[in-house]
Parts: sequence; C-alpha cells; structure tokens
Amino acid sequence: MRRASAIEKETEQIVTVEGLTNVFESIASTQVARVKNKVELSKEFFQLLWQRYTSLRVDPGARITSRNADSERTKTAFIVISAEAGLSGDIDLRLIENMLQSYDPKTTDVIVLGSHGAQQLQQRSVPYTHFFKVPETDSYIDVSPVIEGIKSYAKVVVYYEEYVSLGVQDIKTIDLISTIREMSEDADEDVMTAEDTIFEPSLDEIAEQMEETMMMMALSQTILESGLAQAASRFNAMALAKKRASEMISDYRLEFHRAKRSESDRRLREVMVSLKGKRKRQGVRR
Amino acid sequence: MKHQDQSITLNVIARAPFEVYYEGDAKSVSAINAVGPFDILPGHADFFSILSEGDVIIETGSNPVTFSVTNGIITVRDDQVMLFANM
Repeated sequence: MRRASAIEKETEQIVTVEGLTNVFESIASTQVARVKNKVELSKEFFQLLWQRYTSLRVDPGARITSRNADSERTKTAFIVISAEAGLSGDIDLRLIENMLQSYDPKTTDVIVLGSHGAQQLQQRSVPYTHFFKVPETDSYIDVSPVIEGIKSYAKVVVYYEEYVSLGVQDIKTIDLISTIREMSEDADEDVMTAEDTIFEPSLDEIAEQMEETMMMMALSQTILESGLAQAASRFNAMALAKKRASEMISDYRLEFHRAKRSESDRRLREVMVSLKGKRKRQGVRR
Repeated sequence: MKHQDQSITLNVIARAPFEVYYEGDAKSVSAINAVGPFDILPGHADFFSILSEGDVIIETGSNPVTFSVTNGIITVRDDQVMLFANM
C-alpha cells in the first residue's frame, strides 16, 4: 500500500484539476449561451436573405463557379472548420475522421480552418493547401481570402460541426457551390425579372455580387455554428472531466483513510511488539 | 407607376446578421445606392439594389429609425421592404 502522505499529495493535485475543469465548464457554458443567441439571429437573417436571393434568375454560364477556368477546375476542395484550441472533446477528431472517409489525395485539396484541425491532419500525414486561423470570436470573420481560394475548384465541400443540443453535436457537410446554385434554381420564391423589377445596378451585377455574398454568408454561418458546437463539446468534455475528477477524489480519499489506518495499525503493532520485547527483557532480569 | 394611397404603409424588415434594426410598418425608407440617395414610399415599383455606405432612415410615423450601413441589399416587393445590412 502507498503511503498516506503520497496519496494526500496526489489528491490535492486532482482537487486542483477538478477546480480547473469547473472553471472551464462555466466558461464554456457562458460561451454557449452567448453564441447560441447570435447563431439563431444569424440563421434568421440568412434565411431571409436566401429567400430574396432565390428570387433572382441568371444565366448559369455567368455564375461565379463557372469562371476562372483553369487546370484545377476538375479538383475538389474540402474545407474543414475545426477549433482554434484544444479542450473541446472529440468533436474535431470525429470531424477529421469523417472527412478522411471521402478524401482522395489525387482529386482533393484540403483547406483547414483552425489550428486544432491542422494539428490533427499533420498527425495523420494529410497535407493541406491552405490554413486559416479562426479567431476566438462570436462574430462573423472575414472569409473573403477563403472564398478567393476556392473559386477555381469544381466542387467545394465544407465539413463543419453542428450544434443540435448541449449534449449532442453532429458533423455536417455542405456542398457549397451546388447548394447555392441548386437552391437558387429550385426555389419556391416568385422570380424577380428585369421586366417587372428595377435592378440597380444591373441584374447580372447584382446576381454576381449576391452569389459571392451568399457563399461568404454560408461559410461564415458554418464557422459560427461550428464555434457553438465546439463550445458545447468543450462544456461536455469539462463536465465529464469534472465528474471523473470527483470520482477519483472520492477513491483517493478512501485510499488515503485506509493508508492512514494501516499506518496507524502498523505503528500500534510496532509499539506493542516493542512493549512485549521490553517486558520480556525485564522478566528475564527478574 | 402604382397609385400612392396614404393609408397604405410599407412593411419593413431591416436587419444585420446579429441585429434587428427595425421590423414593422413604416411610411418610408431612405438609403443610398450607386446612383445616389433614394426614397421608398408605399406603392413603389418592385426594386432590388445594392446599398452604398451611408445612413438608412426609416420613417415610422413616430420616431424615425436611423442606422449606418457599410454595405447591404435592399429589396422591395408588393410594399414589403427587406433591407440586409453590414454583411
């Protein structure tokens, strides 16, 4: 059995860990509450904007995704939106594993957002063409460099984390270009044409700018949504770590009391033995 | 050009991604696009425009709602105005 003083020292360390997980759990909980409200507002905004965007009809040949034709036009880009830091449970791991199921290095380039995802890819020796930091913010970030980087790809699939509830976060994918194109073509919204609507500037110019705006908004939305899912995952990971630390503290305290009792029993035995020996020696003298 | 009736008001939704500037009835909406400043009144033709940087003023009948935009989109359809700002 280990010494009680050693167990006591380890218990103190676990108490510190329990305190830290408690703090991280509270921070994550606050972050979830704050970001959730913004995600909901932003979703409503996006849906309203989508409704208007889908009323536009333009020639598919003039689309943003049909321009910049070059040799890379046959390739696919995977955008992986991960957390900037660790301590967010296994959600980034699931994200990368999900992405790797469809990954073909010959036809696919990976663009990673977030240091944690980049680190996970490096560990698996998966190369990525671009890396972007995701600032710890609950506002939209400027995604124009990402949009600029994906214009030359035939297909762009975004892998992101979706907040379902505090306890459940899913991995989702969205085909950015196809979604923007198809939803615009299949929309229920009445068509706004140059015959019945005044467009300033022209319909083509508006459509071109709207398409880029919608792609930026869709990407920003997924980044924001991922941030919420990561905060929820962090909350769960910290709650689990706190529970585990509490259980360990109980076990350690039990072990500590056993060790204490054992040490005290041993000391008592030693005293008894020494007393017996003393008596024996005294008896011999008599 | 549609006939303007004083009793008809616009239904306005003015939002940024994380902010609702105004939602409700209004008498007019004023903003700026590449052509210059413009006003939307009830009965305005269907309209779709990209906003330029500047102030947007929504006349609600009581206190006007004013906010600044750096970019945005405004659409008018059957007296419903949707304004999306600061994207």
